[in-house]
Amino acid sequence: MKKILALLLASMMVLGLAACGGESTDTTDQNETTTEGTETTETTAVDPDSIPDTMTSEDGKYEVAFVTDVGQLKDKSFNQGTFDGVKLYANANGLSYKYYQPANSSEATDDDRYDAMKAAVDGGAKVVVCAGYLQEAALKRAAAEFPDVPFIFIDGYPLQDDSGNTLTNVAGIAFQEEQAGYLAGYAAVKDGFTKLGFSGGGGGTNDACCRFGYGYVQGANAAAAEKDVTVDMNYSWQYGATFQASTDLQTMISGWYSNGTEIVFACGGSMFQSIVAAASANDGYVIGVDVDQSGESDYVITSAMKGLSDAVQWAVGHVYDGTFDTIGGTATSLGVKDHAVALPTDADSWRFETFTVEEYEALYQQMLDGTLVVDNDFSKLETTEWTNVNLNVI
Amino acid sequence: MTFLIQQTLIYAVPLMIVALAGVFAERSGIINLALEGIMIFGAFIGVLFVRTMQGSEVFTAAKAAGDWATLQGLEFMAMAVAALMGAIFSLLLSFASINLRADQTIGGTALNLMAPALVLFFIRIIANQNTLQMAEGDAASWFMIKKDMFGYGRSDSMGILGETFINRTYLATYLCILLFIVLAILLYKTRFGLRLRSCGENPQAADSLGINVYKMRYAGTTISGALAGMGGFVYSLTTANCTANGDVAGFGFLALAVMIFGNWKPLNIAGASLIFGLFKCIAASYSSIDINGDGVFLLADLGISAHFYRMLPYLITLIVLAFTSKNSRAPKAEGIPYDKSTR
Repeated sequence: MKKILALLLASMMVLGLAACGGESTDTTDQNETTTEGTETTETTAVDPDSIPDTMTSEDGKYEVAFVTDVGQLKDKSFNQGTFDGVKLYANANGLSYKYYQPANSSEATDDDRYDAMKAAVDGGAKVVVCAGYLQEAALKRAAAEFPDVPFIFIDGYPLQDDSGNTLTNVAGIAFQEEQAGYLAGYAAVKDGFTKLGFSGGGGGTNDACCRFGYGYVQGANAAAAEKDVTVDMNYSWQYGATFQASTDLQTMISGWYSNGTEIVFACGGSMFQSIVAAASANDGYVIGVDVDQSGESDYVITSAMKGLSDAVQWAVGHVYDGTFDTIGGTATSLGVKDHAVALPTDADSWRFETFTVEEYEALYQQMLDGTLVVDNDFSKLETTEWTNVNLNVI
Repeated sequence: MTFLIQQTLIYAVPLMIVALAGVFAERSGIINLALEGIMIFGAFIGVLFVRTMQGSEVFTAAKAAGDWATLQGLEFMAMAVAALMGAIFSLLLSFASINLRADQTIGGTALNLMAPALVLFFIRIIANQNTLQMAEGDAASWFMIKKDMFGYGRSDSMGILGETFINRTYLATYLCILLFIVLAILLYKTRFGLRLRSCGENPQAADSLGINVYKMRYAGTTISGALAGMGGFVYSLTTANCTANGDVAGFGFLALAVMIFGNWKPLNIAGASLIFGLFKCIAASYSSIDINGDGVFLLADLGISAHFYRMLPYLITLIVLAFTSKNSRAPKAEGIPYDKSTR
């Protein structure tokens, strides 16, 4: 009996190991073939998903490094969108690239993030792309320690070292998320939705998410005023502090949908997974964030996009054409005027029934020529008297 | 109300089935602290199975054609695979605690520590991140039973019972309830059940009557492992959108509490899980619970902090355990390795 059991357990271990071995060889095979494929074709418009996430460079050095924010690399949102930019630029220019995920994922400390940045620099990085404002403290330390390495701080701002000098090797790139949020909120109400929801990440401390949410409310309010209706909105930061999917979040959003909420703006990386699951179970709708998420689910009616991928390529391009000093140490804020925020208008992604692309473009034009200014001071969210939105902050 | 009942069931069922898993092990004399670890492992295996099978033509075609019976079959197979692997995983515990007479608490803890590490290791290899998701789509669109499957339109009503117990439910929920009933009968009304229970009370006496205690304990722990593995997958399917990330939010430990709270008896366990599921549901969705449908959200209007509601399930567990534990009667011989020479 004992022998048989021992044999069984041993074979289980072996099987497990074999399975793991099989998987890893599979992935490397895939990587190799895709790299070869892209090298031969050399097309400019490449689907970022066709570029492998990990590549092996011949000298073991990786020039373009990406340090992820909290949440997952493949969150189909913020991290993934930023990494797509890294991959596209590196792929188009034949550069090596690598991503670094700080240890302890969503509980990463500043030390973990710093270690990831240091690993990137030690790994031969000529430019390090850091996603997310949470990286500030770690980035400050790393940028001061490696003054020759340019850092691109996505969703960030210029940093000063401890003695107050601006770190010229950090380029802070932010977006005018309130404009994207406005477009989404306006479109949703114009399309006939009257019960809206907003579920944001970062627990209300993430400026980018706050701007998205504030713009969303403004847009909904404006559209409701034009239609002379009043819309309800649930507005919540709960279960989003770490930008992770969770069963609690799924339950909460299910509760919203079953109480009549028709559409929820999923504003926070992997939280999208929970919200879209709730929507799918209750036949509700979702507004995606950061990138065009319409491909993820039929329930995604539109996405409040910001041009993460383009911004990264643009900034990394500055490094490689030797003009990094024009963006290093300064704040870059990308919005409508740079075509960095938008709703996706492709026929596949445009799922509104009554709101048309023409109406959307007219609105976009108003923002562009300055007749419509979207406020970005999100501290006024709860103090403003919304004329046509019943805001229910949860 | 419908939402509250459905969501309560969704939370209660994995708890119930995993608590029953604990009962089977403990009634045979083995403390199975590894429930959490086995759940994590089962969830991973189930999700991996679904993810792999999604790539096969049979299921892609079934999804495209809306052939939901086939998809329910896939769900059932994933449950079975998770149960099988859970059972195999639990053999580690059985072997250590029955053949090697190791301390069962430590053996179980070791598995609890090992499972998330092992699972994350594989997930990182497979998916390059910490969460293993379905290859495409979401759990609800693939596996949830909806009224349009029975020919009802979007605005047709199935009646209150249909809306609550058929529309927007998972087959897994009902399979688990069915299994729960069958196994409860097995434990109390069959010869096998009596023998199993006797090994947890007085293994020496059982042995003297010719019952193979080792075999019975293996049977108990293996059933336990299978149920826990399946419970883990059901948890991840119904509450976590069919994803595995080396974590089941402490449901394995909660199941242990539910088992003690239910006094190692199936009926009490079912009740305890429902109470716990209800509070868990309230904790997450108190702001949109409208019990009598009059548009007043009582729990939200009370103005109590959200944190209080989130504490509730655990608070209730603590309080109830404090009151009930003096009546609790654990199987007498649980945790003691059986040694023939002490007979």
